[in-house]
Amino acid sequence: MSRPTPPKATFLTTLMDLPKNVWSSIFRNPLPSNDLERSATSFTNFFLHIHPVKVHKNSLRPTYTFGLGLISFFLFLILTVSGILLMFYYVPSTQQAYDRMLDLRGSVAFGTLLRNMHRWSAHGMVAIVFLHLCRVFLTGSYKKPREFNWVVGVILFLLTLFMSFTGYLLPWDQLAFWAITVGTAIAGYAPIIGKDIQFLLMGGTSVGQEALLRFYVLHVAVLPAILTLMIAIHFWRIRKDGGLSRPEDADPKVSLEAMENAVTPKGSVPEPKKLYGFQGLVRGPLTKVGQIPDNTVFSWPNLFLAELFTFVVTLSAILVLSLLFNAPLEEPVNALHPPNPAKAPWYFLGLQEMVSYSAFWGGIGVPGIFVLLLLGTPYLDRGPKGVGKWFSRDRLLANTIFITFVVANIIFVIIGTFFRGANWAFVTPW
Amino acid sequence: MRLALAIGTFFILVIHGVVFYNQFFHQWERNQHAYFDQARVLAKTDVERNALAARKPRIEQIVVSNFGETRVDRCTTCHIASDDPRFATYAEPLKAHPYSPVMGDTQKNGKWERRHKFSEFGCTVCHDGQGRGLDPEYSHGRDEYWPDPLLGYTTQEHWRKDFAPKLKGKEYMQANCAQCHTEIAFPGTPLVTKGRELFFSSNCYGCHRIEGLSDGTIGPDLSDVGKKWKLDYLWGRIADPKFILATSIMPKFNLKEEDIKALVVFLKSRKGRNFAETEIQRFKVKLTGGAELVQATIKPVQINPAEMVKQGEKLVLDRACTACHKLGDREGGIAPDLSFEGLLKDGPWIYEHFKNPKSTMPDSIMPAFRFTDDEFKAMTAYLLTLKGTAPTGNGEAIYKALCLRCHGEKGDGQGPIAEHLDPYPRDLTKAGFMNSKPEARLVASIRNGVAGTSMPAWGKLLNEEQAKAVLGHIQTSFTKEPRRELKAKAIPEKNPVAMSKESVARGEGIFVERCAGCHGKKGDGKGPNSLDILPKPRNLRNAFFVDSVDDRRLFESIQYGVQGTAMPPWIDYGLTNNDVGDLINFIRSINQKPKGGQHAAAIQ
Repeated sequence: MSRPTPPKATFLTTLMDLPKNVWSSIFRNPLPSNDLERSATSFTNFFLHIHPVKVHKNSLRPTYTFGLGLISFFLFLILTVSGILLMFYYVPSTQQAYDRMLDLRGSVAFGTLLRNMHRWSAHGMVAIVFLHLCRVFLTGSYKKPREFNWVVGVILFLLTLFMSFTGYLLPWDQLAFWAITVGTAIAGYAPIIGKDIQFLLMGGTSVGQEALLRFYVLHVAVLPAILTLMIAIHFWRIRKDGGLSRPEDADPKVSLEAMENAVTPKGSVPEPKKLYGFQGLVRGPLTKVGQIPDNTVFSWPNLFLAELFTFVVTLSAILVLSLLFNAPLEEPVNALHPPNPAKAPWYFLGLQEMVSYSAFWGGIGVPGIFVLLLLGTPYLDRGPKGVGKWFSRDRLLANTIFITFVVANIIFVIIGTFFRGANWAFVTPW
Repeated sequence: MRLALAIGTFFILVIHGVVFYNQFFHQWERNQHAYFDQARVLAKTDVERNALAARKPRIEQIVVSNFGETRVDRCTTCHIASDDPRFATYAEPLKAHPYSPVMGDTQKNGKWERRHKFSEFGCTVCHDGQGRGLDPEYSHGRDEYWPDPLLGYTTQEHWRKDFAPKLKGKEYMQANCAQCHTEIAFPGTPLVTKGRELFFSSNCYGCHRIEGLSDGTIGPDLSDVGKKWKLDYLWGRIADPKFILATSIMPKFNLKEEDIKALVVFLKSRKGRNFAETEIQRFKVKLTGGAELVQATIKPVQINPAEMVKQGEKLVLDRACTACHKLGDREGGIAPDLSFEGLLKDGPWIYEHFKNPKSTMPDSIMPAFRFTDDEFKAMTAYLLTLKGTAPTGNGEAIYKALCLRCHGEKGDGQGPIAEHLDPYPRDLTKAGFMNSKPEARLVASIRNGVAGTSMPAWGKLLNEEQAKAVLGHIQTSFTKEPRRELKAKAIPEKNPVAMSKESVARGEGIFVERCAGCHGKKGDGKGPNSLDILPKPRNLRNAFFVDSVDDRRLFESIQYGVQGTAMPPWIDYGLTNNDVGDLINFIRSINQKPKGGQHAAAIQ
């Protein structure tokens, strides 16, 4: 049957249809109302196409992941946006930096809020990324096939620390200057290359204009670029590894008979856990949706709602913190007047405490061993059991060792923060 | 999930509302609106009224580059009426800045004209504070991290409670006037002038350096102390030196509060820069040492020979000598007791000591103060009259009266002033030392003193019996260990090696090899090992001391060591008598006859 001929288009009707036409040229796919359209959201939308069409229910469980990875990413986004806005006002010059910070605090509209958001998001990101690392370890989610993603994750953690460290110097006040002096000095304790690394970081033999410029470039250009790349790889790897880890009993066991009865597409028999993994199967009459029982749900709307909610919570928390607490700004830099004690940023205080026992072992040796152990974990722990569960009994040894290291480090950070006073002598904070 | 999401989103909306509210309706906008409204009431023409009605609040700033770094002063954002004379009687912040002839403002046809125009000077160069801040907490410098709170108006939370109230008052601003107006006795800065006078009359200049005024080396350089420190620190350092630094050796001068204030204002004006000076002028001051300024400030006393002693007394008491020394009921706790000076020392020695302390006492920390010769003579004459009261009683009573101050109440050489003396007072508890010297020598030390050290010749005060009584007290209460008979030692009576260039050269070689580690490369007792040992190694360049000991005693000390000290017996290390003879020749050669006494002829 032929289509009814549309009424003759006049210029007036063109004008009247303009809003509708503009809208539909941008949003070419309707809001989903059936499964087909729900599936389509994951590959018809630029911003959503990293997501799978269907996601396992276990991945959405709040008590499984606590959304830590998502929170880290959203904090990164908040940091990027607030950071770019701050870049409009900040100048990395030893003469101007502090004055610019004063301007941000006093005269720029929303300046205080912006700076606070940036600072608390930064501290938050270091903490949340660390907690995310703990979650992934304690659920055994680094095991095959996720080993390399774990390595990428550890690299991301180190990059996060480095980002926070480079940003710490930029206010150019006493707090910043001396914390970075301590941090770069610890870097100098590395054998053979230590002094060269220190010189490379500082662009000289002491923290000054060169160091400020280098840290600025690292902080706003180099590290964000590398971080973005690694985050992209990290997300890509999540998809390629089959989504987030889950326990073995998360999917109902399907017998071979049931599988053979169901009409499979041409090709090899896929593994029971994942019967279909890409969108090609959605088209055509051979879709298995709803025919073989599994525990997946559509990404639209479940996953996206969960992500949106996580973002709202993260943003609320950051906004409340930023309204209540002001980021510190101490005296202008005075290279002749070190505070006593001069403390590194809190995430390096554990290091500084260890350095006070031994410069090399505390600053380079032990942390180096930590990092190597972390990186090597998936290659040292090859047992396949215990994935997808918190504190699985099968992984008691690994979890115990990890918790011990974590607690030790936290104790060092606490000692370094509260129990060390002038000349790094032991003091009580009360 | 959707409910939670809805609640969360609503919460964010509320927060945004709060944020926006915070960012608008600033305090400074309210101030400006108040000003506009008031000015409209006072307006005389319609044009003016309409202009004010249309005016919107905005940030006002003055950018000033005349004074070193660029300053951005936004004070007039709140203090918007500061140049509007109609607001002279309003309350802050809408008060007009006062006009005053003291600040150079002039009246022309009944209208005041400002000398220090805001457009040229800004605000912070005179008032301090933080120009870039817009919130009073920051702009007035109440924030404890800001180094320049509003001078005389703002105190910071962490300032000591008993100092803070004294640090308020417009007069503190004179310190900033002196950044440019450095003329001597500038009429607008009386406190700076008074402070400078006090800097000299209280003898601060003896220990402290201020560029162009003085070059004391014992205390910190104060040339830019006004830039480095806030008022509370400056006040505290003068009023209670040990509160900032428990180990400070700065005396506690008992100054009146108005004097402390003058000194604080003067010190606050030392910012290490002078905006009105050209480079050439600065250089000239460096070359001449600011002689004119100094001379204009210190007013020497005209000494009338008939009143010499009285004038000397006034000088000693008024010019802070007792901030270090003890005299009568005044006790500085740093330097020796002057109460017996007339008996213990003679005129030439005292005068010499005034002119150049190190020429009579080589390791003294006493600065050379700038008095005229006549003033020195008067002070010498006064000191010669001090004979004190001879102590009575047993050895213990005499010890308490005369010895305790240096040798300590436990006799361990840690008396209250011990740390300021060089060499240290002897530790009398060291039985090793006390029991290895013949009693006659110990009594002689008490009666004749030890040349080149702070141990005076108490024999001028005590007779033989009293001296022996003191020694007895020391031996029983401090040394405790009983004496044993001293072994005879094989020591030559005099140096077997004749003095010659070769002998001195050999001796120097041995000295550098064996002795310099403790006695120092220069033989002044400041070798690297000296940091860890007490008593410190002898300063072998102390000519008074070295000349007072004979060769035999030097032989004994070197070959057999000095028990109770770190001086080892070098005979055990293979030094022969000839080696020691060379050493002694070397030591004597570095102690030429002291040049002191060149001024002594001035005293009859």
